[in-house]
Amino acid sequence: MRFSVASAVLALASVASAASSWTFAEGTVKVASKSGNDAVEKFDGTARVRNTLTLGHQDKLKVTVVTKDGSKAKRPHQAFLVVKESITGLEAPFPLAVKESGKGSVEISQKDLPSQLLLSDSPLSASLIIASFGSSQGSVTPVFDFNVKRDPGATVEVPEKPLRYGKLAEIHHIFRADPKNPPVIISLVFSIAVLATVPALFIGWFALGGNFNHAQKALGNAPISHAVFFGSIIAMEGVFFLYYTQWNLFQALPAIGVVGVTAFLSGNKALGEVQRRRLAGER
Amino acid sequence: MWSILSVAAALVYAAAVSAVSTAGNRLLVVLDDVAEKDLYSQFLGDLTARGYDVSYETPRSEGLALFHLGERKYDHLLFLPSKVKGLGPNLTPSHLVNFVNADGNILVAQTSTVPSSTSIVGFLSELDISLPVERTGTVVDHFNYDVRSAAESHDVLVVEGPINIRPGLKPYFEIEGGVVAFPHAVGHVLGSGPLLSPVVRASATAYSYNPKEQAEVLDADDLFAAGQQLSLLSVFQARNSARVTVLGSAELLQNKWFEAVVGKPGGNSFRTDNQEFAKRVSGWAFQEIGVLRVNSIEHKLQESDELNPGIYRIKNDVSYNISLSEWSWDKWVPFTLPQDDVLQLEFSMLSPFHRLNLARRRTTGDAAVYGISFTLPDQHGIFNFKVNYKRPFLTNIEEKNTVSVRHFAHDEWPRSFVISGAWPWISGIGATVSGFVGFCAIWMYSKPVGKKN
Repeated sequence: MRFSVASAVLALASVASAASSWTFAEGTVKVASKSGNDAVEKFDGTARVRNTLTLGHQDKLKVTVVTKDGSKAKRPHQAFLVVKESITGLEAPFPLAVKESGKGSVEISQKDLPSQLLLSDSPLSASLIIASFGSSQGSVTPVFDFNVKRDPGATVEVPEKPLRYGKLAEIHHIFRADPKNPPVIISLVFSIAVLATVPALFIGWFALGGNFNHAQKALGNAPISHAVFFGSIIAMEGVFFLYYTQWNLFQALPAIGVVGVTAFLSGNKALGEVQRRRLAGER
Repeated sequence: MWSILSVAAALVYAAAVSAVSTAGNRLLVVLDDVAEKDLYSQFLGDLTARGYDVSYETPRSEGLALFHLGERKYDHLLFLPSKVKGLGPNLTPSHLVNFVNADGNILVAQTSTVPSSTSIVGFLSELDISLPVERTGTVVDHFNYDVRSAAESHDVLVVEGPINIRPGLKPYFEIEGGVVAFPHAVGHVLGSGPLLSPVVRASATAYSYNPKEQAEVLDADDLFAAGQQLSLLSVFQARNSARVTVLGSAELLQNKWFEAVVGKPGGNSFRTDNQEFAKRVSGWAFQEIGVLRVNSIEHKLQESDELNPGIYRIKNDVSYNISLSEWSWDKWVPFTLPQDDVLQLEFSMLSPFHRLNLARRRTTGDAAVYGISFTLPDQHGIFNFKVNYKRPFLTNIEEKNTVSVRHFAHDEWPRSFVISGAWPWISGIGATVSGFVGFCAIWMYSKPVGKKN
């Protein structure tokens, strides 16, 4: 509401000459302190207090003025000392007790201040509003600033911020990080190392005397069963490969059944032939 | 030509007459003496012209009841100042609270020339609105008064261009460059609840005093409130969107102030905008403006055409659209957000995982569609698409659409061959398979070494 105060001051300035107006004289502000903040300052309608006063937690700040209508001391209806917090613009009015003679005073201590002003870090500014009914022009006069020095031992109850409906801060979900792969080169090296065991295995077997020399003979003894049996072993691996790449379990199971039965039946004959060779001392 | 014009005129008139609040058109005006309504004839005539079915009762009348067989008899109540101390057994504070709970709207107009009724004081204290002690108080401002009508008493306040106190609100009560006179106003003080919002506050230099007891001296301890703590017009919107409006100055609604000329000390004279302001205050109070409607809510997978499915998967890309209309005096119009305000969607399970600002997607004749596309969080569970749009001056929107969010199915994960870290293991399987087949072949077909054949 700085606006309205400003406009009131403007209006005041523009008609200052028109009618009589409310003013004050002998303005005094006095800090009675137990902790060495004592100060007495004088002010009037044109000269505000230049020093910033300090109000400690056991101190009392007393303002006395003599209110005047024009040049005559008189009691106005409205004589408020308004203490304002500069950042939020919050104001607290303290009415002066004014006598018929125009002598008014008000005493402020820390417990009179609302917590919002008490917690302020910037100086509070006090202004004096003097106005009354009738045609006399009222006045709004900034008179002094003061700092609040809180008791370091005491805790001030900070009022909870009231709920106000309005937009809230956006929230964006933070997703868990995707699983990471080791460097491809390492995977490749190990894959090649694993695959390299296959030729190594075969070389080892051949070195120990393994060979396929009886394949001809076996096929000659039991051509169909050997071909089908060995074929079904490879077909079973093929079924597993298809199960891995595209089939589901219900497609894989019948195929496994068919291949398994084939392997069993043909295996009977093929392995019988192998056994006969062994009994003949050919293995 | 004339016939067409007259038919058109008749249609416009019919539209104007049928145009009324979304909450109904039965209005009860409670005032001391039915004859008093002549003072307010322009205001009440405006209401009738807007389509209200206005009944008048005094607090003393026998048949006065707000409910009949448990149903509301009226949709709106207007209290004009009344000299009786209490408003009788039919208008107790609890009756009024029940009326609000049953979605009824109440406009309370007060004046400092008559003490407020105890029923009204009790009712307002239920809403955390305090009135001056002894039910009497008048707001004076020695700096912003009307010099023509209150040169001595300073109790006709001149408020220049009412503007919203908080940013991000609809400008329903704003009259740019306008002047509103608040004659003989009663100030009230609001509690800190979120449902209350001040619309017009007194200026920094105003204060409230009791003209009977504090005419000469205002004792420091007896000051009710001063400056901006004093509200002249405040609104309360309950959780069910029923509205209670407290207007400090009933005389604002009277004919003589509708087009009066007022002037501040040392300033120019202006014609008041009280008629326009009264229209807006009553229109808001009786739900002719600021009423929101949700037409439809659509959410879907971005690449799918199926609307509002009950289940999604984590990390799905989803789009959400909500269509809103706003009732503006006599028709539904697309809802536009106030400046500096946003419509927000929360995707929440207990607490919001996402809270996103919706963007305006498109506008049709009477609806605006707000929407957004986003990725669902990587958390499975039961979630809500929730739009909780509660703002002063607008009816509450609280829309919740519940959906399940499931995990990845077993066949929705990436296959192992695209994961480079799995290659050594796949190679291992290959090596095992080829080793097994090779072993079978050697076992069956190997010729013994060293044996001659």
